Parts: sequence; C-alpha cells; structure tokens
Amino acid sequence: MSDPIQKPSNQPAQTTPPKPVSLNEPMDRRSFIKWSVIGWGAFVAVLGGYGAMIMRYLFPNVLFEPKQSFLAGYPDEYTIGEVSERFKDKHGAWIVRDTEKIYVLATFCTHLGCTPNWMGNENKFKCPCHGSGFYKTGINFEGPAPRPLERYKITLTDDGEIFIDKTKKFQQEKGEWSDPESYLSV
Amino acid sequence: MESLKAIINAACAPEIMFTAILLVFFFLFPPNDWFYKASKKLGLNKLWTKNGGIGIFVVMILFFAFGLSDDNFRLIVIKPDNVPIVGLLFLVVFFLWLSLKQAWENDKRIEEGKPPAEADDAKEKVLVWPDLVYIELIALVVISALLLVWAIGLGAPLEEPANPTVSPNPSKAPWYFLGLQEMLVYFDPWIAGVVFPTVIILGFMAIPFLDNNPKGCGYYSVKDRKMAVSIFLFFWLVLWIFLISTGTFLRGPNWNFFGPFEYWDPHKLVALTNLNLSELIYMIILKRPLPENIFLREAGGFIVMGIYFGLIPLILAKTFLKDVYQRLGPVRYSIFIVFLLLAISLPIKMYLRWGFNIKYIIAIPEFFFNI
Amino acid sequence: MSEGNNKFLENFKKTQLYRAIFRTGGAPISTHKQRILVTLNNVFLHLHPIRLPKHAVKVKYTWCMGGLSFFVFLVLTITGILLMFYYRPTVEYAYGDIIDLSEQVPLGLMREIHRWGAHLMVITVWLHMFRVFMTGSYKPPREFNWMVGVILLVLTMLMSFTGYLLPWDQLAIWAITVGSNMAGATPLLGASGPGASLLAIGDVNFVHAASDARFAMLGGRFVGEGALLRFYVLHCIGLPFVIMIFMIVHFWRVRKDGGISGPT
Repeated sequence: MSDPIQKPSNQPAQTTPPKPVSLNEPMDRRSFIKWSVIGWGAFVAVLGGYGAMIMRYLFPNVLFEPKQSFLAGYPDEYTIGEVSERFKDKHGAWIVRDTEKIYVLATFCTHLGCTPNWMGNENKFKCPCHGSGFYKTGINFEGPAPRPLERYKITLTDDGEIFIDKTKKFQQEKGEWSDPESYLSV
Repeated sequence: MESLKAIINAACAPEIMFTAILLVFFFLFPPNDWFYKASKKLGLNKLWTKNGGIGIFVVMILFFAFGLSDDNFRLIVIKPDNVPIVGLLFLVVFFLWLSLKQAWENDKRIEEGKPPAEADDAKEKVLVWPDLVYIELIALVVISALLLVWAIGLGAPLEEPANPTVSPNPSKAPWYFLGLQEMLVYFDPWIAGVVFPTVIILGFMAIPFLDNNPKGCGYYSVKDRKMAVSIFLFFWLVLWIFLISTGTFLRGPNWNFFGPFEYWDPHKLVALTNLNLSELIYMIILKRPLPENIFLREAGGFIVMGIYFGLIPLILAKTFLKDVYQRLGPVRYSIFIVFLLLAISLPIKMYLRWGFNIKYIIAIPEFFFNI
Repeated sequence: MSEGNNKFLENFKKTQLYRAIFRTGGAPISTHKQRILVTLNNVFLHLHPIRLPKHAVKVKYTWCMGGLSFFVFLVLTITGILLMFYYRPTVEYAYGDIIDLSEQVPLGLMREIHRWGAHLMVITVWLHMFRVFMTGSYKPPREFNWMVGVILLVLTMLMSFTGYLLPWDQLAIWAITVGSNMAGATPLLGASGPGASLLAIGDVNFVHAASDARFAMLGGRFVGEGALLRFYVLHCIGLPFVIMIFMIVHFWRVRKDGGISGPT
C-alpha cells in the first residue's frame, strides 16, 4: 500500500515533526471496520445498558402488598355442597366443600381478572365483565373465559385449622387439580 | 307502542343489526363502480343533500325523543358517562353527512368536467390576520362556553370507593375502549387486547402507503377514491363507532345483550355454551374423543388459518382484487391484504359464534394460545 | 365616552411600554403590509402562514377540529394543574380528595371541566382524523404527518385511560383492571399471554405475575397503591411530555408539508 502524502525527499528526516493526524489521510479498510465496530458497539452497549437499567427499575425488589396466606377456620365450619363467601372480600377466595373434599377457588376470572359473583340459585359463578360462567368446581362452561378458575393451596395446621396459601396456584388445564395440596379430603 | 319497542329490541340484537348494516353498507358507501351506480340508481346519494340531512336528523331526534319516554332507555342514555357518546353519535352522523354532501357535489362537478369546489375557492388567497384569526377566536369562545355549560349542567360521575373484591355488574372499560371490550366477547385477551390494537395502530399508519391513488387529495370526493373511502368508513363507522355504541348502550349485566328498551335484569339467562372447532370436528362430526397430541387435536384449526392467511390472498389477487394487486404491487398488496383479512376476521368470528357457537378455531389453553 | 377611550388607547399605543411589547408598534392596522406584519411579529400567530387559499379557512372544509383539539388540550393542562393542588395520589386519600374538590372548594367545577374536556378531546381528535381522511390529506407529501397524527391519537387515549384511574372509585379500578389484564396477555411478555410458559428453564419461570408487562404498568400484582402512583405520574408528567414532542412535530410538519391540504 502506498502512502499518497509523501514527504518531499530533500527534507532531512530527523527534523520532521510527528505526523499530525489528518482527516484527509485515507484510512485502510481493515482499521475502518475495526473502529466502526468498536465505536458503534460501544454506542449500542451504552444505550442497551440504559434501557436495561430503566426496565429493571420498573420492578422493585420489595412489594408492599397484603399477606398472601391466611387461616380459614376449621373444616366442620363449612357445609357440604355450599360455596362459602366468608373470605371473598378480605382474601379473594371461595371455599367450597363437596361430599369428599374442600377446595379453594381464586376469585379472579381467568378472562380478564374481574371478580365473578356466586349465583346460588343458578348454581354457577358468573363474571359481570364479559359474562363468563363457571360451575361450582371452577370449570368454565360459558362465555369468553379460556380456562377454569384457579385453585389455591390448602393444608391443615397442626391444630386442625385450614391454612390457605395463595402463592401456590393449581390449574386444571395443566392437570394440577389432582395434586394433594390442591384440596383437603374430609 | 309496546309492540314497537319489542320490535326495536329484537332488531337491535347484534346478529340481526350487524347483518342489516352489512347488507346496506356497501350501497350507502360504494366500494366500486357497480355499487356506485347501484347507489345512484336507488337514490341513496340523496341522503347526502340538504333535505336528506334534515331527514336523517329528524329520524334520529324522533328516535331519541321516543326513547326518552321509556324508563329503561332513559336510564342508560342519561347516565353522565354515556352523554358524550350520545353527543358523539350525533356529531359523527352530522360530519359524515357534511363530508359526503360535499363529496357527492364535487363528484357531480368532476363528471361535468369542472374542478372540485375547493379548487374554485383556492384561487382566492386570504390573510391569516384577520380572516383566519377571527374564525379561530369564535371557535374557541364557542367551545369554552360549551364546556362550561356542560360542566355546570352535568356533574362528573363518581361511584363508590374502589373495592377490589366487588366487580360492579356490568363492569365497563372507558367508553372509547368499548369497541375493544366488545371484541373481547369473540376473541381471547391477547388478540383483542394486544394484537388487534397494535394492528389497528399500524394499519392506520400504513394508510398513506397502501392507498397510492394520486387523486382525491385536498378535496371531498367519493368517485375518485371509492374503495379507500368505503374501507375506511367500514372500520370507522362499523368496527369503531357501532361497536362502541353497542358496548355502551346495549350491553348490560353479565355482559348480556339487552335491547334499548329492555330492563337490565341481572338474572337474564342466556345460553352461552360454546365449543371449539376441534371439539366440533372430533366429537360431533367424527364421534370420537379428542386426540392427546395437541397438534393433532388442533390440526383442523391450523389448516383453516393456513387457508385464510395463505391461500385466500393468492386467490383474491387473481380474482376480485386483481386491479388492486396490479396497482399496489406484491409488497404493498401483501401488507394490505393481511390487514384487511385481520379486520374481516372480526365479523367472521362474530358470525361463527352466533351461527355455530364456535369459541376457538385453535384452542391450546395449555399455552394460553387460543384463536 | 368612546372618544375618550379611543384617545386613551391612542396615547397608550404611543408609549414606550406598548412599543416594547408589540413589535409592530402603535400604528393602526389598515394596510395589507401591516396585516402581514401582525402575523409575522407575533410568536403565537406565526404558527400560521401569512396567507391562505380561501377554502382553507372555511369551516365546512376543516371543521376546525385540529385546532379545537389543541385548544381543549390547553384547557385540560390548565384545569389539570389546578386539580393537582388538591389531589393526593394515594389509596387512602384519593377518593376523599375528589369529593372535597367538588364540595369543599368554592366554584369547584374544575373536575367537571377536566373530565368532560377529556371526553371532548377524544371526540375532536377522532373527528379530526375523520376529516383528514375524507379530504385525502394523508397523501404525499403528508404521509409522515398522518403517522404522527395516529401516534397523537393513541397518546390522547392513553392520557384519558391513565386519568380514568385517579378518582379511585369502582368505575376507575375495574376499567383499569380489565385494561391492564390485557397487558398481561401480551404474547411472551405477559404472564397469562401465549408463549410465556415457554420462557422457562426447568421449573423457573422468567415471565410470571411479578415480572411481566402488566407488572411494569401497575407496579404491583394488582391495581393498588403502586398502580395509582404510576398512572398519576404518567398522566401528569410522562404522557404530556411525550404528547408535546409529537405535537410540535405535527404542527411543524403541517407548515413544512405545504399548509392545509388543497386541490392542486
């Protein structure tokens, strides 16, 4: 490769000042690619870093939300075949007892999270927002809800009280309702 | 009187009203030459004249006056948050009339070989001060006065304090999103709430690039851009304003449908038992249980989707939309047809629901993937 | 009386103060040139061109809807600032403050004007879009400005949506619950959207109720304290900031693209 800006040959070499960086000086392809990759790479990395920082900032480490578990009294407080609305307002859960077990249904419609109403006469849960209907078991049978209501983990404490943990959910369509923690045999 | 109300109630059922609108729509807003001529022959363009406008408004006012004598109707219409939508209805009809009146007048001028009315006006130049500034001032004063009167006359609604455990019945989104909420009846949230809004926004933004007809810029006209006007009005009037009005006025407790004069009974029983396409194919037609494998189970749905988005655009490009394809070229045509098919999928899904109780074409609740 | 007034005005127009404020000075505006100068010398009026084709000032052509949208936006800004004096965005106070706004503040109409103004702005923006379509004004060279307009339309509706939560009544919380659960159904990014369960290694889900698109919007797993604060900040600062930027571009491009559309 020849350098087009050549020093005149009659000038003594030792007196030449250090060659100034000239914008006119052509850059060879290799270093051009190298420096553009480094430059743009750094630019994108900084932007991406800022973006990631802002995204992460939206998710705090600590949430000041109500406790996710509660005690729900003793099994014999619930009548067979009835839907108890005792903890609907406070904890968002229906406690249902049928002939052999007790299970807890989350009060969130699987469509868009409205709170369905228990309609005793018609024996179903009916969501006021878009009309989804669920049987007493939580299985969806009408309206737009794509899947059954979720069930919460239910266990007995050492002194025989019902303990409900809302952090663990069981979904019927994933076959989780056979999990022994999703119901309480009585 | 009561029988008239019963007739109106029945006619307002979504399947009947929507079908009626579809039948009339393309004659009112012709998408091509054939409909344009038919529209003229039927005299429908007379609606967009002074007398036609008066007629439309007399009918609308009579309907509302008649309706206000009914308790159930009054209850819905006078509800403070619904008042803007009544206003919107009148405004949309008025401006629709205003634009189409000028459009049909211009069409006539163009047929006679004259330039549109705007071109005559445009020859004369006026100064911003004072010719425009005083119009602006009047508009500002009028709108301020209107807002003030509205604010004094109608208190802003405030319901009971928020209670996360009791959903009011019915629970409605803000009125401008009720079109989306109406779609939620027919589609899963990820489609109605995410995909469709995105597609609507992108589709609107794509309009200038898909409509490459150079005519019809800067003046009202139907004749010069029939198809563009017709498609836009279909979205704007039917899939936007009509769905919003339905969601506002005709959806009651449990999101059941109620006629305008019907009592909102929270215990109204409506059978909403739906089935998926896979269930229809396997359990009803083939009379066997659903296969275990998800892809085998939903194969029918995937084939339907493949035909809808893969085959139909090709067929249309060779037949009905041949001209469009030639004008737009392959890239623009593909974008155009995808947007169009997505939009048309809404009415198709509505009819599948009304006619066959189909819930999902493809139903994979295991992955929340339902179409 | 009127003569005296006129004299006073005439004299006032000769003062140094008047000339300092109005660049055109006190001369009566009667000639063509002076009328042009009025527009040119005023920062607010110079958004306009100096002269227009006649069809562009006719209400039956423009419907005034674009200008009215901007005006209603200004009304909303003013009433919104006034509302902020009394409103505290916490679950504890929000509802009570809204009641106090109409009951304890003399002439407490601000909330009414703000709310109806918000509805009105949505309507005027829609009608503006309708008019622009019907006159074919999105055609070249105005394609980009149409796109900016669509973004402004979306922002207008987002402004209205975020404002809907602030009264913290039943209407608010359930409208936002339904709306935000749609965000939770975003493909891949929402915990109850398609594909989210594919983004998992073994039993560890990366997209769950406390790490999805809905959470980023609400600042919590349900509509509560975090959501109220986030929506308040977006409503009062975040979205207005964005909408202003797009409005500046929108107005500037109206001028640059040749003013109001017209037949060529």
